[in-house]
Amino acid sequence: MIRFENASVVYRGGVHALRDLTLEIADGEMLVIVGLSGAGKSTLIRVINGLVPLASGDVIVDGKSIAKASSKELREIRSRIGMIFQTFNLVKRTSVLDNVMMGRLHTTPWYRSLTGRWRADDIEIAMRSLERVDIVEKAYVRAANLSGGQQQRVGIARALAQEPSILLADEPVASLDPPTSHVVMRDLQRINRELGITTIVNLHFLDLARVYAQRIVGLRGGELVFDGPGSDADEAVFRDIYGRSLTADDVLETSPASPSL
Amino acid sequence: MTKPAPAAPTTRRPSKPRPSLLLPLGLVAGVIFTLWAAWTIHFDVARIAANWDRGITIIGEVLDVDWSFFPRTVEPMIQTFQIAIIAAIVGCAVALPFAFIASRVTAFNRWSMTLDRWVLNVIRALPDLLYAMIFVAALSVGPTAGILALIFFNLGVMAKLLSETVDAVDTGPMEAAQAAGATHVQTVRSSVLPQVLPNYVSFALYIFELNIRASTVIGLTGAGGIGVLLGAQLARFNFPQIGMIIVEIFVVVLLIELASNALRRRLV
Repeated sequence: MIRFENASVVYRGGVHALRDLTLEIADGEMLVIVGLSGAGKSTLIRVINGLVPLASGDVIVDGKSIAKASSKELREIRSRIGMIFQTFNLVKRTSVLDNVMMGRLHTTPWYRSLTGRWRADDIEIAMRSLERVDIVEKAYVRAANLSGGQQQRVGIARALAQEPSILLADEPVASLDPPTSHVVMRDLQRINRELGITTIVNLHFLDLARVYAQRIVGLRGGELVFDGPGSDADEAVFRDIYGRSLTADDVLETSPASPSL
Repeated sequence: MTKPAPAAPTTRRPSKPRPSLLLPLGLVAGVIFTLWAAWTIHFDVARIAANWDRGITIIGEVLDVDWSFFPRTVEPMIQTFQIAIIAAIVGCAVALPFAFIASRVTAFNRWSMTLDRWVLNVIRALPDLLYAMIFVAALSVGPTAGILALIFFNLGVMAKLLSETVDAVDTGPMEAAQAAGATHVQTVRSSVLPQVLPNYVSFALYIFELNIRASTVIGLTGAGGIGVLLGAQLARFNFPQIGMIIVEIFVVVLLIELASNALRRRLV
């Protein structure tokens, strides 16, 4: 379980990215966070694994305080939290497999990570992660040679290789075209359902949020302005979250049942 | 009927900023400094003309290359190679941690970064010739002194070039490694090293090239290699033999440069 207790984040220059946020996320939930850019979505996600430090309050992940964790404890907590990024964050020069092996670093001794001599068990875990997102045939291809959608699936495989209990996805489809977006969102949904991994996704497309979210959390100016099941989030709710009426830019527009998948 | 007035601009257009006086002032200062320097060290083009005859004689003798001297140059040339390779490998290997600690992107913390940069600044402050003189004085003449001198020279150059490359690296993969629970060393190894590796190899080839050239000069101090032979011939005014050595150095440096250029093009 993840629990935000009056969590606040202030960036250098005095920007309040999160204000006194209190929120509980149950194990196995599929939670989508919506809000305009600058609303604090990325900050909320990065506070969970300590990539962004808290100014006050605390976040409790599976009973462990993020604010009080030492750097060793923080690495231990992070190892159980997979993360997926908007720009994929792959090392483009190296192979897909080497990228996925990043997810095994937390159990790899330093001399093995320095020489790049991975254990056979770890390679097996990485290969199975690649199979789960259906891209194992590219294991020895350079990451730079993959399309955006393929790169994001490698990003998901890297997160899965950690064998995490929580998955964080920061705008995972913002750099992808609409059909590919649905493929990636469906992968995340399947992983959430089949493996029971708590999945927290930032999205700015409302229709995607409504289709894939079990629960939607709306942020505005770093504050919680909506929290409810995806089915409750109608246009009025989104207007409230966005603080303006909706436009065509707010939706992705293709249906998830599009035949191109 | 009047034409509809154009919409009033919401903000004023900015006036063009005045050009900075810094550039012309700097140019004037540069010219004044150059003239002053030339005057105080008695730089005199006329002397080249006055000593023209003597210069021509020496150049003529050097151009009269003594090809039969070639066999005696082979062994020192091989030694130059050995010195250059050993120094490049050791220097570049030692430079690796120095470079990562010196870059803001991969440094452990502020104080170790500052310390590391200071050490590198001191190492770079001494020229290779001075290192050679120090090590020849400390260890007596021979290639060991040359190797040690070039190691310090290479360490300084590589750490500087590489740390600046690391500064410009894509930091996204680093965030991914950190989010996966990697230690700092693991993060750098898995997400930064692969990005700078082609540049690193390319710099290493360039440093090997520098070493061949530098080793001819530091050899004059007795630090081994072809430079020692060159120094001996210079002392005896054996200009045709010097001509042979110059031709050989020229050819070897050119060949290595061509080879390393071809290799580097494939890398980056």
